[in-house]
Amino acid sequence: MIELKDIVVKFGDFEALHNINVEVREGEFFTFLGPSGCGKTTTLRTITGFIEPVSGTVSVKGVDITHVPIEKRNIGIVFQSYALFPSMTVYNNIAFGLKVQKLKKQEIDSKVRAIARKVDLSDEQLEKAVSQLSGGQQQRVAIARALVTGPAIICMDEPLSNLDAKLRVQLRNELKKMQRDFGITTIYVTHDQEEALTLSDRIAVFNKGFIEQIGTPNEVYNHSKTEFVCNFIGDINRLESEVAAAMKLNPAQHHFVRLERIRVNRPADESELRLDGVIESREYYGLYIKYYIHVGSQTIKAIEKNDGINIYEPGEKVTVGIHPVDVMSYDAAPDAN
Amino acid sequence: MHSKASSWFKPNLLAKTFGIAFFVYLFFGFMLLPCLNTLTQIFTVKNADGVTDPLAVIRFFFAGNMPKYVWNSLKLALCLVLTVNIVGVSIVLLTEYFDIKGAKILRLGYMTTLIYSGVALVTGYLFLYDRDGILTTWLYDMFPNMDRNWFSGFNAVLFTMTFACTSNHALFLRNAIRSIDYNTVEAARNMGAKPFKVLMRVVFPTLIPTMFSLTVMTFITGLCAMSAPTLLGYDSINPEIVRLAGSSVADEAFPQARAALLSILLAMFTIILLTVLSNYERKGHYLSVSKTKAKLVKQKITNPVANVFAHIYAYVLFIIYMTPVVMIILFAFQNYPAIRSKTLSLSDFTLINFFGSQDYEFMTNRGKLKTRPDAISGLFANSDTVGGIRLSFVLSALAAALACVIVVVAVNYIFKNRSKKRSTVLEYSLLFPWLLPTILICYSYRTFFNSEEVWYVFHTNLYMRENVRFLIIMAYTVVKLPFALRMIKAAFYAIDEELEDAARNLGASGLVTFLRVKLPIVLPSVLAVFALNFNALFTEYDMSATFHSSYGKTYAMVIQNMCAEEGRDGYNVNASGRRCASTVFIMLVSGLILYLVYGVGARDLADRLALKEKRRKRREKIVARLRGASEKAAA
Repeated sequence: MIELKDIVVKFGDFEALHNINVEVREGEFFTFLGPSGCGKTTTLRTITGFIEPVSGTVSVKGVDITHVPIEKRNIGIVFQSYALFPSMTVYNNIAFGLKVQKLKKQEIDSKVRAIARKVDLSDEQLEKAVSQLSGGQQQRVAIARALVTGPAIICMDEPLSNLDAKLRVQLRNELKKMQRDFGITTIYVTHDQEEALTLSDRIAVFNKGFIEQIGTPNEVYNHSKTEFVCNFIGDINRLESEVAAAMKLNPAQHHFVRLERIRVNRPADESELRLDGVIESREYYGLYIKYYIHVGSQTIKAIEKNDGINIYEPGEKVTVGIHPVDVMSYDAAPDAN
Repeated sequence: MHSKASSWFKPNLLAKTFGIAFFVYLFFGFMLLPCLNTLTQIFTVKNADGVTDPLAVIRFFFAGNMPKYVWNSLKLALCLVLTVNIVGVSIVLLTEYFDIKGAKILRLGYMTTLIYSGVALVTGYLFLYDRDGILTTWLYDMFPNMDRNWFSGFNAVLFTMTFACTSNHALFLRNAIRSIDYNTVEAARNMGAKPFKVLMRVVFPTLIPTMFSLTVMTFITGLCAMSAPTLLGYDSINPEIVRLAGSSVADEAFPQARAALLSILLAMFTIILLTVLSNYERKGHYLSVSKTKAKLVKQKITNPVANVFAHIYAYVLFIIYMTPVVMIILFAFQNYPAIRSKTLSLSDFTLINFFGSQDYEFMTNRGKLKTRPDAISGLFANSDTVGGIRLSFVLSALAAALACVIVVVAVNYIFKNRSKKRSTVLEYSLLFPWLLPTILICYSYRTFFNSEEVWYVFHTNLYMRENVRFLIIMAYTVVKLPFALRMIKAAFYAIDEELEDAARNLGASGLVTFLRVKLPIVLPSVLAVFALNFNALFTEYDMSATFHSSYGKTYAMVIQNMCAEEGRDGYNVNASGRRCASTVFIMLVSGLILYLVYGVGARDLADRLALKEKRRKRREKIVARLRGASEKAAA
């Protein structure tokens, strides 16, 4: 559906994107994930046409659109700030693109009202100023405006980042449902790994203008290709040399284990390494409890389901089990792509 | 052939070329060249032998009485800084910081200078304190030996300008004090600081950046003062420039070159002060670092004596501010015998000072009663006054609109090419008039365009006959560009860049994006700038005085003429009544404009929709009530 081939973007002398290659499938929810300044928004803006690459091509359904003007790309965008026109009503915001296309009044009206119904906006809300709507309603207006012209692709640039935590979770679910209902190919940009993991069909993890890994949420989480991905996605333990040596792991490599794979006071398993530790402190999260356990010369973090019975106190001695298959190992000096 | 032509014809390129050409024409033709011409006038003076003597004017400057004008202006500016800051800070503290009874009323009184200023204000003060003024008449009745001309010269100018120049304090210092984080005051009190120490050590330091800017602006205002020194009789630079500009070589030695030298001296002072100000602003002085500000709570003055003293001080200031306003409004509706005798009476109420005309009856020296038919005419019945109002209205509206259009187009370009040098050049060229005193620009126009040798205006003498009106429009526009730029640029900053991206993504062209997305957002600010500029220009005096001619007799000049009429022909009650009516009219226009700008203009779409809905409901209620009443009647 969308193919980025050897995309290079430069700002003056600074190379922001280095040979980016991505292929997004039709109907897919594809996420660009990475820290600030990693190039994810630059890649999105290259697709939408706001940035022209110095080399490489952007194709949609096999058609090269690298030099096609923004307005002719047929790509809808939902901006980080939603970019709703404050001087227009909700109706006029949604109708803007259709008016620019000089469609007939009746056609515009029917299209606006149809899309409004789909995103759950009432007729009354259509007559309001955008500032009179809540954050969630504004997001629906932004989506409706992006979809009403019938784009082949929709791009979303951190649309949930301005919202509070509770609303963010609520709207995340609505967003996913809407994407499924519309069946539209979606490219989503975020720095929030939880958002990426819950929403996406596939994720591209960006770092310093490179793509470190493209894969499903399970692949990037459980089979992180690089040390960066493994560290960026979720919380993780890096095993120090003492523990690594006890597990007979390659000393030339860095070794990592996810918190939920650490087994605290569990029945012994033949294949796992068992170590003695002392609870340093704990964090109570309700659904689970996070322990900081002093093992040898390092502190290992572990997550245990809160069953209300097996809750360990600081200073209490515990056994820590690590299964070799749960260890992710990377060369000491990993090279990005 | 056709395709070739269409590829050659690029509307965007054409618009850009036209735009650049226009700005180059405006900058060189109406800012730089006339002022450079003024500068060269100083050094191209010919002596009695007809030989060019570049230093003649400078020698004359030191040998003659010209330093007196410079010193007088500097003295006025320095004293004004002191008095305006004392009164300005007082009115803000009394209404915003201390708990003074009746603060809301006091604030209204202190803000009256916002609706009448300049020549209108000075004539207002004259109406009270002049040799035939109300207060002077009352005082004279009590103390017959007093000098009736007591209100003139330096003290009168300083007094009038002190109260005229606190408008900026009332606006900007008020905002600064309101933005103080009250938690800092509470923290200081909590650590044992007494109220006075809190004021001096916590509150004042946060006001210093605003006060510094206000001080510089007040100094420049004092230095460039025009209407007060002219009307109250004080020898300072600006009135002298206007006098010299109208003088001829036959009367005195090289008057034009001397006027030019004084203008350039003013420009130098202004440039130095503005450089100091911008360096100070560039260093960045932040009012508060608080993320969650607490609203300022008014401070009670706990010492009873200080409290009484503060209240007395507040109300004395209030009386000084309000008396001219109240008197002018009251006497604007009194007939000429009442104005003459300075007595107020309901039975003398009249609208003659505004509308219509009547005969003037007077007693001759031989004791004969004579009548001059239609000698008393109201503001809107007097052709001279109406002509001045009409001319000022048209010129101010055109210039204010032109300044807005130029700046909106320029700022849109500046924002689009933010990182490019050409946008910086454009911005600085529009700010250029800020460095020059208004009088220098006007004087330069008057001398430079008063010939048929300027090729880029098609060899037309722009100071001749009706052409002077075009010159006034250009001067008004150029002088107002820097203010318009600062305000409109601030409005453009408020536009989210993603809005433009969104519009382009939805298929809108640059022009459609500008007209339908960006312009509606900045429109309230643009209209506010238009209104404020119009307000200032409608009664402006300095430029009108420089361009004064029978074809350029603006409203301010008409008002000045009324004052002159009163002085020249003995006490002319008609002029006095019309002058009061004029001031009331100016207050109404200014008040209406401020209401439109800050009341109606400040409403966003949500407010407007809410208001529409409210009106609809009210209409429905009335209709329902009427229907109910008619049904009842039918039953």
